[in-house]
Amino acid sequence: MNVLTIQNLSKSFGKQKIIDNLNLSVPEGSIFGFIGKNGAGKTTTMKMVLGLLQPDSGEIHVCNESVCFGQTRTNQYIGYLPDVPEFYNYMTPIQYLKLSGEVIGLSKAEISKRSEELLPLVGLNGVTKQIGGFSRGMKQRLGIAQALLAQPKLLICDEPTSALDPVGRKEILDILYKISGTTTVLFSTHILSDVERICDHAAFLNEGKIAVTGTLAEIKTLHGHDSLLLEFSADKDLKLFKKQKSIEPLLLHSEENNRELILHGRDMASVQKTLFHVLAETGICPVKIELMEPSLESLFLEVVK
Amino acid sequence: MKGYIAFVKKEFTENMKNYRFIVLFAVFLIFGIMSAFLAKFTPEILSALAADMEMTSEPVALDAWKQFYKNISSVGFSAFIILFGSCLSNEYSKGTLVLMITKGLSRKAVILAKYTVAATLMTISYWIAYVAAYGYTALLWNNTNLSNVALAAFSLWIAGFLYLSILMIGCVIFKQIFTSILFTGGIVALISLLEMIEPIEKFNPFILTSKNIDLISGEVIPAEFVIPAFISIILSIFGLLVAIRLFNKKQL
Repeated sequence: MNVLTIQNLSKSFGKQKIIDNLNLSVPEGSIFGFIGKNGAGKTTTMKMVLGLLQPDSGEIHVCNESVCFGQTRTNQYIGYLPDVPEFYNYMTPIQYLKLSGEVIGLSKAEISKRSEELLPLVGLNGVTKQIGGFSRGMKQRLGIAQALLAQPKLLICDEPTSALDPVGRKEILDILYKISGTTTVLFSTHILSDVERICDHAAFLNEGKIAVTGTLAEIKTLHGHDSLLLEFSADKDLKLFKKQKSIEPLLLHSEENNRELILHGRDMASVQKTLFHVLAETGICPVKIELMEPSLESLFLEVVK
Repeated sequence: MKGYIAFVKKEFTENMKNYRFIVLFAVFLIFGIMSAFLAKFTPEILSALAADMEMTSEPVALDAWKQFYKNISSVGFSAFIILFGSCLSNEYSKGTLVLMITKGLSRKAVILAKYTVAATLMTISYWIAYVAAYGYTALLWNNTNLSNVALAAFSLWIAGFLYLSILMIGCVIFKQIFTSILFTGGIVALISLLEMIEPIEKFNPFILTSKNIDLISGEVIPAEFVIPAFISIILSIFGLLVAIRLFNKKQL
């Protein structure tokens, strides 16, 4: 089942079309990475899902209920963490969670029970100072706590790690990973290593459309290609290597950089067979042979080209 | 409803913590207390400063109320509008409201809660200022036989709600504090200009803020205030509804 389905969504600001016929579905229980450049429309898409912005056309369904702009019925299923969450500075974390709980309509007992669970989860247990004195990382963590207060089915995080230092980033990612058992997580980012670290699904947003979507494994096999890196000790070895008959067809998809040669291909096994055959015949000994895994980065660069 | 109550509580706390209420209260109270003293002692101060100036008449209690209405209707309510002009724009610009809205707090509840709290704080400040003015006027002038003193105060208080409704519309439309205040000032000025159009002059809510003294001195009868007061209340409710409607359509 899909927690979130977006169909044919479009949105323009003035003459600029930000989202252009976007389709996306987020399966239940997944950690979904929503990848795109800065200004690609990630935040705009999320805000439309939350009913904060009005789409020009298209439909959004959250837990099979249609999202209406300005009305907040579907938001009961969603926890939202904006990129830079801002709170009422004069409150303490407990007070803020209390206000949030009251707004949601939780009972007093539920609010204190959930606060006791969530504050240790995000590492803010026993913090009694006012939010005004919080660091960005602390605000981000409180942001997660407030987003999870109502036990949402879907947690939407807008670039939760972009502004944080490596430690803060790791903490946030760990928290997101921890809660993924109970909540579907959709998070937007342009930091690809974060996606590789915790996501099982991902979608690439480019020019207002979803360029690629699927499980991480699917994306990696479907798009992008394997590569093999060879490094020679001398230029003459490289020249000799390239002259070989059986290597010629492989050079069609290759890059050369100093004494490095990168061969691209779909069927790496046969490339390797040919390669080792040639190496054995010619007696060339490369200093380095490396099979390069397809990375999200290469895919990202390919998508945004 | 739960969201509304929670947000009203939050608004009360906020207005205490950011000193908005204290400032408003102080401004109103100062003018409440000062009006009687200013009326009583201005002639003496003036003659002390300029010995050759002859004061033609003794100040009377009516002069105290003149001071009161002049100051409260201009400075007092201006302070009120300036102080509360930031009540929505701060939340827009900081993004604190988004977190509340995405938790299911209805937009209607946001506007109504802000209106409720601002109106309550204005009411408290206003009537305490009135009591102060009344008390000191009674203290400084023993025998005052002025009529409709409370009614005059009541009519200005009603106009306060209209100001607040206009301010709410301004706050919803504009993201900047200054523009919403300017908008409110502009609309209020427009209402006062409409007084010059004779056929509708009798219905203009502006009377509520301009003829209080005439009511006390007996130049105007209370009946003349009924229709403007009624129109003012209708316009306040209408303004509030417009603000809610516009806010529902606002992209946050």
